[in-house]
Amino acid sequence: MHILETEELTKHFPGVTALDRLTVAAGSGVTGLVGANGAGKSTLIKILLGLQPPTSGRARVLDLDPATDGARIRTLVGYMPEHDCLPPEVSATELVVHLARMSGLPKVAARERAADVLRHVGLLEERYRPIGGYSTGMKQRVKLAQALVHDPRLVFLDEPTNGLDPRGREEMLTLIRRIGTEFGISVLVTSHLLGELERICDHVVVIDAGRLLRSSAITEFTQATQSLTVEVEEGADALVARLTELGQSVSVQGRLLTVKMLGPETYDAVRDAVAGLELCLIRLEQGRHRIEDVFREPLGEEVAGV
Amino acid sequence: MSEPASGVIHDIGYRHYDGPRLGSWYATRALFVYSLRAAFGFGRTARAKIMPFGLATVMLLPAVVSIAMMALLKERGMPYPGFFVYMQAILSIFVASQSPALVAPDLRHRVLPLYLSRPVGVPQYAGAKLAAMTLAVFLVIGVPLTLVYAGELLIDLEGPPQTGEYLAALTTGLCLALLLSAFGLTIASLTPRRGLGVASVIAVYLLLLAVSGVLVGTFESIGSGTAAAWSYLINPFFLLDAVRVALFGGESASGQYPDGPGPVLLTAALVALGVAALFLRYRKAAAK
Repeated sequence: MHILETEELTKHFPGVTALDRLTVAAGSGVTGLVGANGAGKSTLIKILLGLQPPTSGRARVLDLDPATDGARIRTLVGYMPEHDCLPPEVSATELVVHLARMSGLPKVAARERAADVLRHVGLLEERYRPIGGYSTGMKQRVKLAQALVHDPRLVFLDEPTNGLDPRGREEMLTLIRRIGTEFGISVLVTSHLLGELERICDHVVVIDAGRLLRSSAITEFTQATQSLTVEVEEGADALVARLTELGQSVSVQGRLLTVKMLGPETYDAVRDAVAGLELCLIRLEQGRHRIEDVFREPLGEEVAGV
Repeated sequence: MSEPASGVIHDIGYRHYDGPRLGSWYATRALFVYSLRAAFGFGRTARAKIMPFGLATVMLLPAVVSIAMMALLKERGMPYPGFFVYMQAILSIFVASQSPALVAPDLRHRVLPLYLSRPVGVPQYAGAKLAAMTLAVFLVIGVPLTLVYAGELLIDLEGPPQTGEYLAALTTGLCLALLLSAFGLTIASLTPRRGLGVASVIAVYLLLLAVSGVLVGTFESIGSGTAAAWSYLINPFFLLDAVRVALFGGESASGQYPDGPGPVLLTAALVALGVAALFLRYRKAAAK
């Protein structure tokens, strides 16, 4: 069964077309919605929540129509907005309990759920302090907690890694993956970075200027775009030569080398080459693909085909 | 088999919720109670309680004096009908200081989307805020009146108790509370900064007070009685006093009001306008 689907969904604002005949479907699990800023991700979420009517086309969420059953959808779905949305003078506990009641949970249940969910997102003692004193990472966790507090069947997470440092980003992504698997809550998560979503998603939808660019299972995606980023202190040229010798395709971007992943043997090749040349390895990480890579990829294949 | 443990706190598994989900009406009621508490600073810092409780205490002073007069001198002090007219400055400050407390934080910190993505829609949100503010203002007017009435019943003065006057004052007090709250909340919701909201509401009241006073004076000096009578109604407190005179009879708390159903119709129109303005304001805020 599809958790959500749209058919020829179009949304015009005065002077702007936010969504242009978008037809997508997503099943249970974690679905990534990738697009540059202004690609129409937030507009799509608002239409799916029934908060904005589409100009034309149809949408369905949990087999309900947002245009007519918006209120019912909003009891079953959680939403984490992209922007700051937390009042600074109340504590995380107070806010999450209050919002649980706004979702229709009785008082006692609201307290229990709030305590549970704040623990799951990793807020401990600090949850009794006013939110005004929280770090960005803690605020993002509170925003996530309020989206989960009523145990929704589906959550919309709009740019949950925004403003987080690399470690906070990793923790947030791990948490989102757990929501989709352990918690059994389907997730629609947006990002402008394809690379950070490919690790945690089962399915990725890429949109640009309100149009569908690509929608496919993650396995197809990663094969096409995976790469390794390597940085060494010096001797990069020698390393490029050695890796090419070992049958890897390497491109140089400033101080960084990007090695295309051919399989697990690529890791071995990099290890052997670096060790063999006795270089100081500074960085070895999976490539961070930006949305542009998806545009670039078919182009590269065309060139190769000529 | 050997799953990596991701920390002690995470080892307690996720539990689903299968209890009741009470829906929109319950959520709206909960928001109403939450907002009513906020109007008196409950659930906020101690500093937030100073203004509402200070003002509510001042509102009680005439009632205390009145009861003392009845007990010691055996004569009536404060009349029921004129109460909210005499106390209009205090009531205005109450509306001005507490309206922003109800609406400004949610707009300023953009909390509204968290409500609207739940079973609480724009009508429920705005309705709960309006009902909470109306009840708060009504309590501030009604509790002193009720105390005096209770005192009157207990002390047993000459003549029958003024039940009619008491009920008339309560009824018009409720209408006044609705009118003041609708406009107070609308004005406060247009200025998400709290201090600015307080100042705006006070400014509007002072403006109406001044315009009404100047016009009444001018029209009376040139002998235009009808125009002067209508000019009183620019001040919302005199307007509701005129409604009381029109509906229940009795003495005017100030000058001569226009005869006929004019004040009642004007009040109904203003309440409708204020409520519509508040709902439209929130419809616009929701679309952002």
